[in-house]
Amino acid sequence: MKEEQTQKAFATKAKPAAGRELTEDRIIRRDRMRFKKNKTSANLTLLAILLNVLYFVNLYQQDKGENHYYHSMIIGISIVYNLIFMLAAFLAEEGVKNYKKNYSFPLIVLGVIQIGRIFILPMDAHSTVLSMGQTVMGNGQFTYLVVLLVLSAVCLLVAAAVNLVKCSELAAHMKTLEVRPDGTRVLAGKSA
Amino acid sequence: MAELSLQHIDKIYDNNVQAVFDFNLDVKDGELIVLVGPSGCGKSTTLRMVAGLEDISKGHLYLDGKDITQVPAKDRDMAMVFQNYALYGHMTIYENMAFSLTLRKENPNVIHKKVLAAAEILGLTSQLNKKPNQLSGGQRQRVAMGRSIVRSPKVFLFDEPLSNLDAKLRGATRREILLLHKRLQATMLYVTHDQTEALTLADRIVCMSMGHVQQVGTPLELYDAPANIFVASFIGLPPMNLFDAKVEGDKLVLQQGQGYQVALTDQEKQLLAPYQGKVIVLGVRPEDIEEGAGLPVTISNNENLGMNTLAYGNIGGPNGAKICAKLKGWVGHQHGDQLQFAIKRKHLFDKETTNAIR
Repeated sequence: MKEEQTQKAFATKAKPAAGRELTEDRIIRRDRMRFKKNKTSANLTLLAILLNVLYFVNLYQQDKGENHYYHSMIIGISIVYNLIFMLAAFLAEEGVKNYKKNYSFPLIVLGVIQIGRIFILPMDAHSTVLSMGQTVMGNGQFTYLVVLLVLSAVCLLVAAAVNLVKCSELAAHMKTLEVRPDGTRVLAGKSA
Repeated sequence: MAELSLQHIDKIYDNNVQAVFDFNLDVKDGELIVLVGPSGCGKSTTLRMVAGLEDISKGHLYLDGKDITQVPAKDRDMAMVFQNYALYGHMTIYENMAFSLTLRKENPNVIHKKVLAAAEILGLTSQLNKKPNQLSGGQRQRVAMGRSIVRSPKVFLFDEPLSNLDAKLRGATRREILLLHKRLQATMLYVTHDQTEALTLADRIVCMSMGHVQQVGTPLELYDAPANIFVASFIGLPPMNLFDAKVEGDKLVLQQGQGYQVALTDQEKQLLAPYQGKVIVLGVRPEDIEEGAGLPVTISNNENLGMNTLAYGNIGGPNGAKICAKLKGWVGHQHGDQLQFAIKRKHLFDKETTNAIR
């Protein structure tokens, strides 16, 4: 009998904003979000942090021998920004993991900045020729660093987009739930 | 449908210590069997053998007629609830309950349905996003049960699930387990050393001592007609009073103290005819004693429980046999008071075999 009740409850159709009827599977998938973390966005953000780490490790390790191009104020700012980036991205990761809509926006900003960074250090180093006729950054390294920054930016933007979509779905789903006298939310038709 | 059959099961450890001797039991579908006995009597070992966590040294275990003696624990389709809950502290209640199904790679939507249904049954719907350390002991034990329910196993095994709870919570959780059994109609094996749990939960009780089954029967059978002295003294709270008594004609003469006599009924005289002149064991439950003409007792102390009073004393005087009576109401006897106790009902046991005389 309990099973029947459960089936009945899950068979209930809910209407999203667009007016398109949701299938039972889709309703359950949405309902699962109440109890599951937003791992997609969280993991993408962590991946973005990892890609950024690979970026700056590769960039800084080039500053050795007689190559003193990086001995400037810009490298200090770059180091400080990397620290801020990692902290901000991690905090945002915790937010999106718990379906906090507002945490998508810092991710978008960080993603855009990642793209912008291509035109600062990598681009400048790539176009600078030293006195010996040697370039500061070769084509291979430049491409590698650009790919890392682009991938990092894509991860952040996708994480933000996924979080926005999931937050909207969850918010819409929460409105369809019945609220019991004790404050517990249950699927429509499951109230005792 | 889940019928369990244990046939001539022995457990012998590598150091040749035998924990279980020739255990035989047929569990019917939907039955709640309670294994009860003191610590070290082999009840948990038996349960672990059924679960597949211990090897069966001898004998056979059948589930629905199929021999599962050598089947690994994971393939036995049984779920076990442990005393210490065994929950994952870093997972939420939802994740804990879903964990076994996730490992089996079941469809997430199916898992979700099962977890919500189990949470609904156990009243855990509002707790699903919490971590185990945010719940009370009783709620954690319900989560442990929920984790079993979602698997829909053929047999539920409980290994002293209420031992970590305080007395009040234990009573409440015990009632929940009983309701759960009625709701699921599942076959359950429940191990406890608490006779109250055994008497209140069981369809049938298996009373064990030193690895041997002492008696199998309904709670009333074990209470009313204990098979031997062990069962008589183990089941019942406070335990049964036991006295050595010599059969002399139509009466019993107590061996300790000043030889007080207890009259026998006609039926008891017939039963004890072969024991004339021999010493037997007379058992009297505290609740079968009332104030009235009979044995003279000197009160040593009194425990008032509200509805009842437990009066402890010695027959005849300070050196006489100890006796405990469960008297109705709030009785204010003092140390040294002289009373007369009448015996309403007697249990008779063979002193040599310790078996009941019937």
